[in-house]
Amino acid sequence: MNQKGTYSEQELVALLREQDEPAFGYLYDNYAGALYGVILQVVHETETANDVLQEVFVNIWRKIQLYDPSKGRLYTWMLNIARNAAIDKIRSRAWQDSRRNLSLPDNVETIAASTGPKTDDVGLKRVLGKLKEEHRTLVDLSYFQGFTHEEIARMLDMPLGTVKTRIRSALTQLRTLLQ
Amino acid sequence: MNLQEYISSGIIESYVLGLASEEERQEFEQLCGQHPELVQARDAFERQLEQQALANAIPPPSAIKAKVWAETGLENKTNLRPVVRMNWMKYAVAASLVLLAGSLFWNLNLQKQNQGIQNELASAREDLNSVRRSLAAMEADASVLQKPGMKMAALNGMDASPASYATVYWDTASKDVYLMVNNLPQPPTDKQYQLWAIINGQPVDIGVLSMSQKPLQLYRMRNTQHAQAFAITLETMGGSPVPKGEMYVMGKL
Repeated sequence: MNQKGTYSEQELVALLREQDEPAFGYLYDNYAGALYGVILQVVHETETANDVLQEVFVNIWRKIQLYDPSKGRLYTWMLNIARNAAIDKIRSRAWQDSRRNLSLPDNVETIAASTGPKTDDVGLKRVLGKLKEEHRTLVDLSYFQGFTHEEIARMLDMPLGTVKTRIRSALTQLRTLLQ
Repeated sequence: MNLQEYISSGIIESYVLGLASEEERQEFEQLCGQHPELVQARDAFERQLEQQALANAIPPPSAIKAKVWAETGLENKTNLRPVVRMNWMKYAVAASLVLLAGSLFWNLNLQKQNQGIQNELASAREDLNSVRRSLAAMEADASVLQKPGMKMAALNGMDASPASYATVYWDTASKDVYLMVNNLPQPPTDKQYQLWAIINGQPVDIGVLSMSQKPLQLYRMRNTQHAQAFAITLETMGGSPVPKGEMYVMGKL
């Protein structure tokens, strides 16, 4: 750690690979909140989000050797672990059983309704809220609910090509919206 | 392929957010290896995303960190380490106490052993000195007996004590008289043996026996210029001017 008590990303990764506890503490203190925000946008429930966040950091610690800096930043790698863990959780049988009254989004209206700005007006979702409705629904289904393009095309009864084009179009706007 | 078009196609966001298909991913990674601008654009979007996420962070319940540390075993590394060290200290202290106790016991044992050896040595030295003294005395006696001109008188047991026997050595040159008690009964405590030189039929006192010498060692008696015989009588303590008691041994020179 340098005098400012911070690490460069390179230093941080190197230390994490050596299973350095203070580096992991720094990582947790600096990124747990960001990832928790992302996880909450997927699972909505605090209890579940807590479990997912725990699982995510355990996985980060255990799988740090798999992180390849040439493919992206550390945060991006962690973000994808968090998103995948959160989506796996909401897809899991146990979780679905516990939320049987809400059921799987086998009906599109429920899904579309859940993507409204009222759900989570924070984080990336708030950015998404600025997208056009048709784009927002697609990004939400794709990014926050983890459906494949094919699944979305089937669910929305939309040509696969249209789904892909609209998602790409929505994503290109993200960059501008993030600035 | 037009790189700018590719960059603005949404592939970067798609890739970074994990929404790209397997083929899209492979193609993107391959192109990144060839086009630094693509990597730069990817990195710029990643930083935006990260900044946005950090700005919108929601602090998780503090208990989660502890759970993560417990599950990864870091809790053991951080919190338990001092305990482990303390245990180690305890064991070290216990071990040193045991060693110390052992050492003290060992020392005491050694000291005892040493004391024993010292005592044995002292007693052995005493024995040795005593033997040396005896030896010196015997050597002295031997040298006396080997002197030229030494005459010997064997005093044989009389009726009172037939088994008694003594020997007188008389130096013809110096006139010194030595007596060796070969066998005489232990006298009563109020009595003492007395040696007489018989000169012309008259007994002349030449000393009482202290009976302090070891058997076969010589008693130095008083000189006598001449004598025909020697005799030993048992007299009252301190001796008698003339023989009154019973005669035990007698022999001619």
